[in-house]
Amino acid sequence: MKIKVTSVPVDDQDKALKFYTEILGLVKKTEIPLGEHKWLTVVSNEERDGVELLLEPMGFPPAKVYQKHLFDAGIPWAAFYVDDIDKEYNRLKSLGVVFSMEPTQMGPSRLAVFNDTCGNNIQLVQIL
Amino acid sequence: MNHYNRRIQELNKQLYGKDYLTQQLIKGKHFIDKHFGAGIDLDKISREAHLSKFHFMRLFKATYGRTPYQYLIELRMEKAKELLKRGLPVSEVCILVGFESIPSFTRRFKKITGATPAHFQRLKRKSNFG
Repeated sequence: MKIKVTSVPVDDQDKALKFYTEILGLVKKTEIPLGEHKWLTVVSNEERDGVELLLEPMGFPPAKVYQKHLFDAGIPWAAFYVDDIDKEYNRLKSLGVVFSMEPTQMGPSRLAVFNDTCGNNIQLVQIL
Repeated sequence: MNHYNRRIQELNKQLYGKDYLTQQLIKGKHFIDKHFGAGIDLDKISREAHLSKFHFMRLFKATYGRTPYQYLIELRMEKAKELLKRGLPVSEVCILVGFESIPSFTRRFKKITGATPAHFQRLKRKSNFG
């Protein structure tokens, strides 16, 4: 058994691909048309053979409610690791990304949370 | 302030109230990050953190979820994978990441990645052509 893919639910796959690649700097890995939607994954530019992140179309109403409650409470759907959180925070901020948590110390780590514009909060983590 | 940010602040106070200890611990970890390829041991690392060996080990495990030794091995293995992908010979990688013998390096590498260093290297080189 191998963990190859994990996912974030997104309200619009094309918009999500734009945000996750052009703003975050991830790279598209797989795109397979599946009727109305597609199997669409991105990977880290630094780890192109690493775990793929599926930008999964959010089409199931009860899940939408769950996602909205998480979002409103500021709870991140996923967390990505960075080497220098202040640098990444400033870079994303200058590209217009909205943060609900600025870089904040949490014991041996620093955390920040931003809005992915597709319905989720995403957390950045730097282990000190 | 939203729910999550409030919880993070509460937890931080509750779990990491003694900021100087966290700072000492981080210092010890940075020492491992910098010197993982050399012969470092718990004595040297805990001295760097100004903590007793036992105290350092217990705090490290509670904070990072692994012992300092496990963390050191993880770092060495990550570096080994990177060097093997770049095509360096196994014998050279073994020394560069701080192991003294190829058999102990191979055993440890296999335990963590599931493949021997040579096999791992073959797999990676093959996938580069794909």
